Amino acid sequence: MNKPYMGKILMVDLSNQTMTEEAIPDSVYKQYLSGMGLGAYVLYNRMPADADPLGPENILGFCSGFLTGTGSLFSGRWTLVGKSPLTGCWGDANCGGTFSPAIKHCGFDAIFFKGISSSPVYLHVKNGKTMLHDAAHLWGHDAIETEEILKKQHGPKAAVAIIGTSGEKVSLISGVCSDKGRIAARSGLGAVMGIKKLKAVVLEGVKRIGAHDPAAMKRLSRHCNKWVNFPLPLTPGGIFARVGTFMRVTPVVFPQDGLLYKSILRKWGTGGMNQLSIEMGDSPLKNWNGSNRDFPLEKSRNINPDLIKDTEIVKYHCYSCPLGCGGICATKGKYSHTHKPEYESILALGGLCMNEDLDSIFYLNDLLNRAGMDTISAGATAAFAIECYEKGILTQKDTDGLELKWGNTEAMVALIKKMISREGIGDLLADGVKVAAGKIGKGSIEFAIQAGGQEPAMHDGRNDPGFNVHYSLEPSPGRHTLGAHLYYEMFQLWKRLKDLPKPSLLFTKDSKYKIDEEKARVAAACSKFMSLSNGAGMCMFGLFLGAKRIPTFDWLNAATGWKLTPGDYMLIGERIQTLKQAFNVKHGIEPKDNFMSSRALGKTPQKEGANKGRSVDIEKLAPGYWDQFGWDKNTGKPKEETLHKLDIK
Amino acid sequence: MPYAITEKCNGCGACARICPSGAISGEKKKLHVINGSLCIECGACGRVCPQSALLDAGGSGCLMIKRSEWLKPELIMVACMACSICVDACPVGCLAMSELPRNNGVDAFPYLKDAKACIGCGFCSRECPADALTMTKKDQE
Repeated sequence: MNKPYMGKILMVDLSNQTMTEEAIPDSVYKQYLSGMGLGAYVLYNRMPADADPLGPENILGFCSGFLTGTGSLFSGRWTLVGKSPLTGCWGDANCGGTFSPAIKHCGFDAIFFKGISSSPVYLHVKNGKTMLHDAAHLWGHDAIETEEILKKQHGPKAAVAIIGTSGEKVSLISGVCSDKGRIAARSGLGAVMGIKKLKAVVLEGVKRIGAHDPAAMKRLSRHCNKWVNFPLPLTPGGIFARVGTFMRVTPVVFPQDGLLYKSILRKWGTGGMNQLSIEMGDSPLKNWNGSNRDFPLEKSRNINPDLIKDTEIVKYHCYSCPLGCGGICATKGKYSHTHKPEYESILALGGLCMNEDLDSIFYLNDLLNRAGMDTISAGATAAFAIECYEKGILTQKDTDGLELKWGNTEAMVALIKKMISREGIGDLLADGVKVAAGKIGKGSIEFAIQAGGQEPAMHDGRNDPGFNVHYSLEPSPGRHTLGAHLYYEMFQLWKRLKDLPKPSLLFTKDSKYKIDEEKARVAAACSKFMSLSNGAGMCMFGLFLGAKRIPTFDWLNAATGWKLTPGDYMLIGERIQTLKQAFNVKHGIEPKDNFMSSRALGKTPQKEGANKGRSVDIEKLAPGYWDQFGWDKNTGKPKEETLHKLDIK
Repeated sequence: MPYAITEKCNGCGACARICPSGAISGEKKKLHVINGSLCIECGACGRVCPQSALLDAGGSGCLMIKRSEWLKPELIMVACMACSICVDACPVGCLAMSELPRNNGVDAFPYLKDAKACIGCGFCSRECPADALTMTKKDQE
């Protein structure tokens, strides 16, 4: 009683339609928390090494956060886990909304699916009963339509996770949707749900979620909320373009405080960073080959944060989030209600394809959310196709008559529609850039920008080399939510962990590219902390407040009654991270094969723009990072003694 | 400790109808039982039972209260942080986040969307980290 976890998981075998409730020992929670940690524990132990990601042996798990429902804030995220069909590696995707508490309200910390159903089904859990229902009437409907049908059937309080039409068509860049526009998009796990013929998971539980010391949880939450409400005067959104320009030209920078980002996120959402990112060189442009000169202020003005904010009717808060970076928008004419496009979607469908038409971004964002296709990967694949066309590798004959030129909005919209419906050229592109480049050939792999098959997010690792480290070296490659220099500055972990380095008050940009042990420690600290946080179900934007202002470690102690130190918790993060890497090794992955594409590493440095002359030598950076975890310096594989030390069997 | 039904039960079924977790079962006009593993101790059964046949989690008897006198959540807008924990805490789904902003801004806030469905359990108030919801008796209008 009064534990933050439910102590049980549900294992559903879709092949024979059996459902088994299993108790998980307390010791597992103490070693891995729940969320991503529990997911990694179950998948590592139960999935055979040669499991085909699109076969019956792959296990797909919906894992709620360890702190979800305990009275903590920013802790409403759930993690979708499975073997990624896109990368062949450990796969996970993270999502907010209301689904994480719903899993616990049903009495489980996680729900796993194995096997393949012979016909479309959906899982319904209510009042302790678990049922698989026929989903033939839902198959073919997009994610939002499906959610509406299911909520009509089961009531508005039902929490649902659904695949759209892209997941049904086993597109390797599809995800799992919930709350009419939230999507666990990365790692292509929507395809796993699609091949399993699992259309939806519908949860209607009311079980209470406990905490060891609820009063302490509330006290800590109020302390955190004070910082969320910390007032910073903000100017019109357009000013950030100028700030970005300044950051591009200045040779020295200072560590950034997440309070500023908190304020931007609160006012505009993630889209507040649009112009800033383009100007300072954080956002890749023209399929990672362009610079701010290709997408100057006259173009980026069209995706100014204020223009997006003008369409916002009301803020959208995920469960337990006082910040509310999301929004419900209505654009003129086309939409009555649509989720506000995120920074990643805006830039992937905008600058990366040289598209400056905001209306088309809203349109595509909604279309992709309905189809359940990853906006980052869809934009990246469209940009790749455009470059193929511009270079003559694809012709109008291949593109079904589409003139795929940079900035041709109409052609781009038509292309992405084809990717969603898997028609013609769209079928070729619907599995992401690496698969497409493999089919197209003719050297196109050179500009298929990916790490291990995953299209990286809209943060250029030539600008912040930390991104390139995590894109290349994480067990789930190509991901931007695990670490970067900027994240380390904002997490302010050194305030709680005395052995971690504190950044200087002023440092040159050049120093970020120097390869030394500190870089490895910083990157490893980010990975451990984010693995821990993904186990706890924490939102990265909350963590940007800084470790003293958002009391993650203290919440964990108050929720459990444990008396662990921040160092002990970082060890849990390290264990989760190592387990994911061990999963990859077990499944035959060579960590070195996941390095970022050479263009994005700057092997041929850019000749102009913010990242002129910048390159990141990942071959030299990797050994130091791997060594921080006790993984082999040359191969990146966890050593026997490391596995033994962390009690990984 | 879950709630329990005593021999006083006449099998009217009022408790089973209101129970949000489906924990109560029994045939009409026969003694009903509570499945302890499903009971969430919301107390709704105790408030509707005309026979005072329910024992609460502490083993004390429950008294029937007129539904119009049940406590309902009231929002202290300035304290609310819009985290939506209350909306999720409600076992019957009578709270919702507003579809329109407050203070001419864009911030959402929770409101009692379906007052008739409220069972007065107070989970919303209890789980609110900011103590922005109080359970009060609504004035009869």
